[in-house]
Amino acid sequence: MPWKDNYTISDEKSLTDTDVSWPDQRRCCFRVVVDLSPPSGPDGIKPADLATPDAYYGMHGGLDALCAVLKRYRIKATFAVPATIAEIYAGKIRALPDEGHEIAAHGFKHEDVSRLDRNEEQVRLVRTTEIITSVAGSRPAGWFSLPRQSDKFAGGAVSAATMDLLIDGGYAYFGNGLADDAPHYWVSDFPSRRAILALPYYYHFDDQFFLLFPRKGTGLENPNSLFRNWKAELDAQHMRGRHFSMVLHPYAIAWPNRLHLLEQFLDHAAHLPDLWNATSVECARHWTATFPAATHLKLEASIWRDYPGSLS
Amino acid sequence: MNTSTEPANTLDGDIAALKVLATDYNAGHRLIDKCTWPEGKRMAVNFTADFDAMLLRRLLNEPPMQLAKGEFGGRVGIWRLVELFDSHDVKATIFTPGRICELYPQGVKAASRSGHEIADHMWEHRVPKEPELERDHLRKARAAIEKLVGRRPVGTRSRHTRHLLLDEGYIYSSEDSPDHRPHYLCQPDGTRPLLNLPFHYVIDDAMFFSFAWLNSENAAQRMMDPEHVEEIWWAAFLQQYREGGYLNIVLHPFVSGRALRIAMLDRLIARMKALPGVWFPTCEQVARHLLIVHPAY
Repeated sequence: MPWKDNYTISDEKSLTDTDVSWPDQRRCCFRVVVDLSPPSGPDGIKPADLATPDAYYGMHGGLDALCAVLKRYRIKATFAVPATIAEIYAGKIRALPDEGHEIAAHGFKHEDVSRLDRNEEQVRLVRTTEIITSVAGSRPAGWFSLPRQSDKFAGGAVSAATMDLLIDGGYAYFGNGLADDAPHYWVSDFPSRRAILALPYYYHFDDQFFLLFPRKGTGLENPNSLFRNWKAELDAQHMRGRHFSMVLHPYAIAWPNRLHLLEQFLDHAAHLPDLWNATSVECARHWTATFPAATHLKLEASIWRDYPGSLS
Repeated sequence: MNTSTEPANTLDGDIAALKVLATDYNAGHRLIDKCTWPEGKRMAVNFTADFDAMLLRRLLNEPPMQLAKGEFGGRVGIWRLVELFDSHDVKATIFTPGRICELYPQGVKAASRSGHEIADHMWEHRVPKEPELERDHLRKARAAIEKLVGRRPVGTRSRHTRHLLLDEGYIYSSEDSPDHRPHYLCQPDGTRPLLNLPFHYVIDDAMFFSFAWLNSENAAQRMMDPEHVEEIWWAAFLQQYREGGYLNIVLHPFVSGRALRIAMLDRLIARMKALPGVWFPTCEQVARHLLIVHPAY
């Protein structure tokens, strides 16, 4: 790739559909991510965010109902868990791996790390890793920085240091990349080709942007759009033999009428042949073993020139 | 002194000034009342793609994940659009900022190799206010495209100054919607005409699918599904098909390159092709045709 700092995070061209392959000749990877952060702002979870009906439902009735559906459809999901939530609900979090689910880190308290200096971000990352490790019983392989309903941009926030710190922290993947719809490498330093695997995320497959979005009072409930986006993407990705992922929030999707929508979608998915339902870490391990950065990350020196009167 | 007439005079003056402005502005448009298309063609459909990838996001100093969202257009989206157009034998126009030739040379070259038009979309997705710098940017963009694909751009999607575009040899622009019909933008006296191939913002993928487009607020976001948009666009197409008119469909590789939308466009093009007489040329082909058949004067 003609590399350009502050423009690009990966190489020039994605892997083509025909080059993508999954274990056991499966056709398409199918990933479900469950975000266990309650609605909060860019400072992350505050006391007031925990004392809400949504926060309660998301970790009790909602979580239980969603887990029951996942179990019925034999779906293994990745739970993105802020360290603070892992501490508060240790019992519930600890039970998730027994159902085949993966526990990944979702920040110390789902804060916007771009507001932190590098040192503070690192301190929080290290502490988060310790907490998730002790609660889940094993070290988290993945780190998420998912968006919130109130964010200006629906992509999640990272700082200039985040990928570097994740690599230092021993993480195998970053959970919400937007530059591809297949796993891809996020380069943190071009000269050394230091990179971490990023797994795809796209807000059109994230329930929180369709269910009373951006907040109560709007009446902006668009379950049909959510369902049709999920289905259209899954069908298209299945045809291509590529990858599908969705993000669910128990406080939102688990409400009975909405949960029924999810069931209908999972019914549809269950009838597609050769879908590979993988946790994020399974997907990441397959990818880094089959398409390692050493052979598949194709970086070229920049051909960019700086000019007066132009962006640098 | 009769003071009572002074406010009235001021109001009359206001009306006169507004009238001059409106008259001048209006006189700068010459519509082509009814386009005549080449033999056997009933209507023209221009598929156009604004290939700015992350460049506009970078220009606006947006955060890293926004840039990554745009990067999808270069890594994935442009390739899928080219593949889609080629599979339907549709010739499209890729409005490409000059800098994109440095960021995604392979993608731009592939589009050109398939016979798609590479047209100007500014040097770095902005038009400088300073005349000298504006000229410099327009020339830089042209040079970058010409060097990469071996052919200079003759059209632009930008708000570059019309006089400058004409001086630099551009034959058309494709920007905004003072009318749904192709038209000339000119001086009030009709001189210095530049053909404009209009698009409407409703026939623009980003309007429906890109979060916070044009700085819109969260409460204004509707994460539309492809079927919803397909019906709006199909209705717009069908109306123009009946009239024998023109439709410009604006795509962005980072938006429409997503798998679910490529599938929608595939259906949409197939539906259009099922009707006789639909012409899918580049904007340049439309422009060269109209300049001969419907000259400005």
